[in-house]
Amino acid sequence: MSVVEVKNLKKYYQVHKKEPGLAGSLKSLFVRKYEDVKAVNNISFNIEEGELVGFIGPNGAGKTTTLKCLSGLLYPTSGKISVLGFNPWERKAEFLKQIALVMGQKNQLWWDLPPMETFVLNKEIYEVPDEQFKKTLDGLVKLLEVEDILKIQVRKLSLGQRMKCELIAALLHSPKVLFLDEPTIGLDVVMQKKMRDFIKEYNRRYKATIILTSHYMGDVQELCQRVLIIDKGKLVFDGQLAEIVQKYADYKLISVILSKEVDPKILNGIGKVKEFNYPKLILTVKRNETSKLAAKVLEKLPVADLNIEEPPIEDIIRELFTGKKYG
Amino acid sequence: MGKYLLLGKLTFEEYFVYRLNFVLWRFRSLVFFLTLFFFWLAIYGNRSEFLGYQKAQMLAYVVGIAFLRSIVLGSRSADLAGQVRSGELTKLFLQPIKIIGFWFTRDIVDKFLNLLFTILEITVVLLIFKFPLWFPQKPESYLFFFILAILALFLYFFLSFSLSVVAFWTEEIWATRWLFGVIFLEFFAGAFFPIDVLPGWLTKIIYLTPFPYLVFFPLKIWLEQLSTVMILKAILICFGWLVFFYWLAHFLWQKGAKNYGAYGG
Repeated sequence: MSVVEVKNLKKYYQVHKKEPGLAGSLKSLFVRKYEDVKAVNNISFNIEEGELVGFIGPNGAGKTTTLKCLSGLLYPTSGKISVLGFNPWERKAEFLKQIALVMGQKNQLWWDLPPMETFVLNKEIYEVPDEQFKKTLDGLVKLLEVEDILKIQVRKLSLGQRMKCELIAALLHSPKVLFLDEPTIGLDVVMQKKMRDFIKEYNRRYKATIILTSHYMGDVQELCQRVLIIDKGKLVFDGQLAEIVQKYADYKLISVILSKEVDPKILNGIGKVKEFNYPKLILTVKRNETSKLAAKVLEKLPVADLNIEEPPIEDIIRELFTGKKYG
Repeated sequence: MGKYLLLGKLTFEEYFVYRLNFVLWRFRSLVFFLTLFFFWLAIYGNRSEFLGYQKAQMLAYVVGIAFLRSIVLGSRSADLAGQVRSGELTKLFLQPIKIIGFWFTRDIVDKFLNLLFTILEITVVLLIFKFPLWFPQKPESYLFFFILAILALFLYFFLSFSLSVVAFWTEEIWATRWLFGVIFLEFFAGAFFPIDVLPGWLTKIIYLTPFPYLVFFPLKIWLEQLSTVMILKAILICFGWLVFFYWLAHFLWQKGAKNYGAYGG
């Protein structure tokens, strides 16, 4: 049995549209137009134990809504969800004790008290034994380097510091299933790297099943083998990250360092110029013509160095979302 | 149980973070008490009886209002509505904790603190004005008062909780809270004056609502102005309302949570 099973999940919101301004407000007192927003529109997928899956999509695609349905916050409009064999919506204690949802923009820490108070409360709420609590907390505190902020009021912490404490609060009960919504938001590059390493390690050590959403492709690229791409509430891709490149990028990049300046006109016959900033030149070429055109470059241009590269995943996904060329 | 105790402790600590806020809140309660106190003093003037109440009884009623306000009416669970609106409720939704239990714990701490300060303030006021406190003669009055006050505490909690849960649908609950809080609660509960000074037909209607059992009836018991039959009837009606609102709070919660949007994030 898969750890996460989602079948034909739909979540529609009813919203009323208000025209801007006071006139719009007055009008909305009497007449309200309601509209269904299809935040999640019929998606299905399974996730096995120990998988680390990336969930990507543009803003408003339905990523967070899906995570909220999976963690029992939202009541699905229709469809079936099973997480660890539970129906999340029932919010059984045994279920809640095995999962965690970390939202980068939301805090579960008690705003007016130091983070340590929340940790101790969570220990009680999740009924974590003393030994385990001490061990987990020490480990997390050291790893995330937050020793000296544990006694400072949460509202006085920076976004990054708070994010780290949020993560600690969410992991104290060692959840088997972890939903991470933008876990690296607000972190500097050093901390981003640390956080990624940590997620990877957590996944490996506890065989934890992790679903993460992120705007940083770096997070996904480094952590996830499998990705789910969602757009406008629909699942448009489910597979290995590497497959995206194969499937959607019908081109490669030839990146050249020139040894001498050349007339840009000469490039026309070779390929599409993606970037030309002497001495660096990047050409976009059709996948099946790569070697032929590479030979041409070497023949026609003064080349100091030449590389044939796959396009960056970020570019492909951006094109995917803007060009909408789903196969 | 441990989690609720700790939760109570944290709630307690929170009050000390915003000391000024709490002091101002107490100040407001004190001003309210003094206003009522002097208002009735002025009305009585040299009279010893008015509207069927002796002067000492009426002032005892006013002191009683202050106490019952802190024990029965003081309420943190009103915050629940705001949390529904802002999506802050999400954190509770994700944890293995009973949400009604969470708010009840916070309410209890709030009541405890308010009661403590009410006792302090009123003792000072009564000492200054050299006013004796009114105590019932019959020992059973204490028992009946205690029973009804406890029932009232629970009744108010579930009433207030039900009202907060309405936020799942409306997302704007200040209007209902205000209407409920000021018009029904304070007025019909007898938190300004004893309800039986109103015309008979009106009091009969009010007695059918849950409100007078929150403040008015417990105080009537304290003043020993009710027969045992009337006391038992009041306790029974209060209990009936309690069962109803207990059910309603749970029912609305079950229904409403399906509407929860978990906004933000």
